Amino acid sequence: MIIAEGLTKRFGDKKAVQDVSFTVKPGSVTGFLGPNGAGKSTTMRLIVGLDRPTSGRTTIGGREYRRLTAPLTEVGVLLDAKAVHTGRSARNHLRAMAATHGIPSSRVDEVIELAGIGAVARKRAGKFSLGMGQRLGIASALLGDPHTLILDEPVNGLDPEGVRWVRQFVRHAASEGRTVLLSSHLMSEMAQTADHVIVMGRGRVLADAPLDELVRAWTRNTVRVRTPRAADLAAAVAGPDVEIVSVQPEVLDVVGLPAARIGDVAAERGIPLHELTPTTGSLEDAYLALTGDAVEYRTKEIS
Amino acid sequence: MTVQPSAAAPVRTTNGHRLTFLSAVRGEWIKLTTLRSTWWSIGIVAVLTIGIAVLIAQAVDIPGFEPIQAAVMPIQFTMLLAGILGAISVTGEYSTGMIRSTLAANPVRGSVLAAKALMVAAFMFVSSLLIFGAAALAVSFVVATRDQSVDWSDPSASYLPILVASLAMAVFSLLGVAFGFILRSGAGAIAATVGLLFVLPIVASMFGIAGEAWQWVSDAARYLPMAAAQSAIIPGTGLDEPVAYLTLACWVVAGLLGAWTVLRTRDA
Repeated sequence: MIIAEGLTKRFGDKKAVQDVSFTVKPGSVTGFLGPNGAGKSTTMRLIVGLDRPTSGRTTIGGREYRRLTAPLTEVGVLLDAKAVHTGRSARNHLRAMAATHGIPSSRVDEVIELAGIGAVARKRAGKFSLGMGQRLGIASALLGDPHTLILDEPVNGLDPEGVRWVRQFVRHAASEGRTVLLSSHLMSEMAQTADHVIVMGRGRVLADAPLDELVRAWTRNTVRVRTPRAADLAAAVAGPDVEIVSVQPEVLDVVGLPAARIGDVAAERGIPLHELTPTTGSLEDAYLALTGDAVEYRTKEIS
Repeated sequence: MTVQPSAAAPVRTTNGHRLTFLSAVRGEWIKLTTLRSTWWSIGIVAVLTIGIAVLIAQAVDIPGFEPIQAAVMPIQFTMLLAGILGAISVTGEYSTGMIRSTLAANPVRGSVLAAKALMVAAFMFVSSLLIFGAAALAVSFVVATRDQSVDWSDPSASYLPILVASLAMAVFSLLGVAFGFILRSGAGAIAATVGLLFVLPIVASMFGIAGEAWQWVSDAARYLPMAAAQSAIIPGTGLDEPVAYLTLACWVVAGLLGAWTVLRTRDA
């Protein structure tokens, strides 16, 4: 269980994190979303005591990180940037980390195998590709077999096999009752991995809800209809709560009516339907709707 | 996946692994000894020490010159390597991001500082002991050609200077560690270390010819780390022995206190 209470972090004039409170529960995967610069990484750094909060506090299992008697066995941390000396081999890095907690080197070899870096474990970490570095970071997070995992962009740079491995791993960890907080910009990946989502924007928590609830609340269900008599159908289904967009001459997107109702109306009037596809909103849609105003570094729309 | 898993029992890891100061020191030992730069530094110290010691032993043959002095005199050059080794043991962690792993594994900042300081100092002390010992051996071979010898039955003419010089090397490495934590940047910490150990004494010596009004500069310079170390290694020069030791201790304490003040509050 990770609890943040009124967390605020100021860097000079800039408030990176403002009055952030949330609870990450054990037994589920909590996704941490937000645009670049939203304060996700800072919040994670505050949780593990790398940065000091300007005000507020965070606890893990009821204690501040710096009060933990065996941090590595309680919390596995993977932070965004590489946190490994480039001149040291992966295995020696893990040995040094393990030694601080009296973790035997047999466990070092175990996490090396687990993370799939056996072939490069004796190479210097500076020579690692992004994906290999990421795997090494995950390996060190797992060293102490911790009950809480804090992973900042764990799939960043991983190959598809690695992405799937991380997904299955955190799902499995959560099913064992562990607490998992992970951030990612890959919405489809997050949609498959997380049970619960915390969305940050401009240093604040914008949403904190179960994933399906969040998607429902922030997206609209659309029904795509293809018919040669588009105008007739549009007239037939029109109503005060119904929004109809003509995508192509024969294609309509209808918002506000269930697919079955549209089909019934069409049947009553003898309007032929060539396609009737209900589409539910995705996490990506919900995320973009939520963070629309909170994006710090916006890209230009390509027209 | 949006299915809430049924409430699972929270996992309690009871594997008995704990963070202790001793294990933190062991972690630092592995970190120090698994970097090539460490062994390069020690290697250069060894080559310089033994090489210069042999040269001095061959060149200096005057009454009152104890051969053991030749073995410890190279410290005037190798002190820089001791300081640099200490500095990069810290700044290397900052430049690579390793410090985040270090602080995540050991969130008690004071303990991180103490473990690293202890390990670097102990490592430097033992290496120096071996290197100065080897240099003394080499020197005794050189002076044997003119029927002189290192008198191992007289501590002050044999192992005592070696011991104190090794201690001084440990002190210099600690100053490097302190600058490393305070400045974080490799270039900055090395510049500060070299400045304090090497440049300041030269600057101060320039005031030696500046007349009575500037005498205080020369007096103060005797308390610089290298000058104090020399007074401790070869008694009778500069400061009194106890004062020299106290001065070195003060440098270490001041440096580490400064490092701790910075480390305990600053974001990593």
